[in-house]
Amino acid sequence: MTKENNRFSMKTLAIAVSATVALGVAALPSLSHADETCNSPFTPLIKGQEDLVYVWTLGVEGIGDGSDKLVTVDVRPGSKTFGKIIATLSTGDRGEAHHMGFTDDRRYMWAGALDSNKIFIFDIHSNPAKPKLVKTITDFAEKTGFVGPHTFYALPGRMLIQALSNTKDHGGRTGLVVYNNDGELINTIDMPTGTFNGVYADGYGYDLGINPQQNVLLTSSFTGWNNYMMDMGKLVKDPEAMKHFGKTMAIWDAKTLKPKKVFEVPGAPLEIRWSLKEGDNWAVTAAALTGKLWVVKQDSSKEWQAYDVGTIKTESPVPLPVDISLSADGKGLWANTFLDGVTQYWDFSNPMKPKMIYKKKIASQVNMVSQSFDGKRVYFTTSLLGNWDKKGKGDEQLLKMYNWDGKKLAEVFSIDFYKEKLGRAHHMKFQAINLKELQPLQARLDGASTQNKLALTDLLSK
Amino acid sequence: MSYQSANIVIRALPPPSRGGGVFKSLLSLLFPLSLACASLPSHAAAAPVKDPNASGELIFDYDIHPPGTYTLQKIQHAASGQVLDTEGRVRALADSFGGGKVTLLSFIYSSCADPNGCPYAYTVFHLIKSRMEREQPQLTGKTRLVSLSFDPERDTPEVLKLYAGADANAAKGIQWDFLTTASLRELIPILDAYRQDVYFDLDPKTGQPLGTMSHVLKVFLIDRAGDVREIYTASYLNPDVVYNDILTLLLEDGAALK
Repeated sequence: MTKENNRFSMKTLAIAVSATVALGVAALPSLSHADETCNSPFTPLIKGQEDLVYVWTLGVEGIGDGSDKLVTVDVRPGSKTFGKIIATLSTGDRGEAHHMGFTDDRRYMWAGALDSNKIFIFDIHSNPAKPKLVKTITDFAEKTGFVGPHTFYALPGRMLIQALSNTKDHGGRTGLVVYNNDGELINTIDMPTGTFNGVYADGYGYDLGINPQQNVLLTSSFTGWNNYMMDMGKLVKDPEAMKHFGKTMAIWDAKTLKPKKVFEVPGAPLEIRWSLKEGDNWAVTAAALTGKLWVVKQDSSKEWQAYDVGTIKTESPVPLPVDISLSADGKGLWANTFLDGVTQYWDFSNPMKPKMIYKKKIASQVNMVSQSFDGKRVYFTTSLLGNWDKKGKGDEQLLKMYNWDGKKLAEVFSIDFYKEKLGRAHHMKFQAINLKELQPLQARLDGASTQNKLALTDLLSK
Repeated sequence: MSYQSANIVIRALPPPSRGGGVFKSLLSLLFPLSLACASLPSHAAAAPVKDPNASGELIFDYDIHPPGTYTLQKIQHAASGQVLDTEGRVRALADSFGGGKVTLLSFIYSSCADPNGCPYAYTVFHLIKSRMEREQPQLTGKTRLVSLSFDPERDTPEVLKLYAGADANAAKGIQWDFLTTASLRELIPILDAYRQDVYFDLDPKTGQPLGTMSHVLKVFLIDRAGDVREIYTASYLNPDVVYNDILTLLLEDGAALK
């Protein structure tokens, strides 16, 4: 599982990154999307204590059954199984498990595999503590022409998917796909290409996020299958491959799913997080190769613009920010830097002038960060991509949970996914055992749903 | 006439007085269930995060596309089920779709007190009805509104007829069907098909029903072929968008706008 060959060095990586950024093309990694504050605005949220954390886990040959699996961890305070794995559901397949997303009713969770292009639909409401695989979509690439189903984002009655690549050349040109909640394909949309409002649109995709009050969808860009499935050691030594990283973001009309404007954002802009604070209309992203933080917002004439607002720095030559997580009040941002395994906390009280105010090493490598809606609990996992994770001792595969008091992180539990014979811990999603506690995003309904509830549909089964 | 709209601010309606108790005949079911609910291995929910700046206003700040300039995808076929009209006649829900009309469907209950739920949908339906009758009277015969109750015990055909008032069976203008079901057995498969969650609110101390129901309201736009073409949630239900979506579907069918 942990071969020492093809190991990349910091120096090689730094050279590769510098070269590609200098060329005006992006480079390097990251993949993720997590946390309660980044769900679709159409998905009801857990605004109190989460009960469960699902971890979409990459199968590793020689570890357990070697298959991708959904791992369920109990995080209920006071539970006898707090911090323990209470369910493991193997897909029986190894296809580069990556990200997940809830349907708009949070009854089902869709989970994608970037290599096999399979999409697994799990029932997470019948018994949230023991998810059940109810459907597998196996013809995603064949039907859409796209490869690498990455981000899963609920629309009312539908699932919007951002792909990473395509079937023709396995490069970075890709598109959006819409399914209905039954898993039937509705529509495919190409990412913008060519010259677009004076900017070269590369057609790449990575993450997406919707601001419904403004009727806009924001997308970012990464790289194609050729690169994300390549061993990172080889990749960073391949100048041609390093040219093929995204350098754009695009703002779309969320209603019609038509692009409105393309922004030049070099260095593979990845995770997109809209501020949830009422009245805020800005989103933040981190560019993996440059380490820069970008804020997308309207200028004084209401024109959408992308602003370079800061740079993530680390002691290593390449910061390589991967996942980010924005607090529900839009005032604080967690940013993980993969190579040094550190998380940084940025004060975003002024999103145009954010400041790094805290950092902590989580593990030898760190990718995903997910915070609870109240920001008091923060979870981390360590896998980036099967072929991009570190080798040897550096390849720690953990789920770690911390309490955050606004000043420091205090570790609560850690689960070693190799010791548990599971695989590489990647994407996390929270769930409540009692779905009646879920609340819509918008603040005006806060407090209206704190009573105990009884589902109407429960009546017939009794 | 303008199809454009910007900076729309929809104020939450003032909460009406709370309705009565949940269906009395269900109490025998509810009581043991409430106990079962309390025994679930769940925690007490922490206090929700409140935005101190929350104003209770839902703000839309964008230009709305003119009708016919975009396409609404076919999402799914609109499910049917057995329903009752205000005269107590048994009908298929699907009878309220098609027939040369575009349909807007929502779930309601007549004693709903959530200002962001049924009353808001009711207001939106009224806005659409009055606007179309005023601006596109030639299309009123091609549009239908359907309000389906998820409270079969209280919302009998007779009660629903009173609730609907002049809106039901109007001699002219837009057809507005008010429907209910004979019992939960007929209702629940419909709710499941539309993935419309509905909950009884229970007193957290006693487990007894508080007399209110909560739901994240959904509204469905159904074309003449009976296909769902758009789904709106109450959270982001913009009446001007819905209006233009209806006109967009009518334009697909060759309608002429004034």
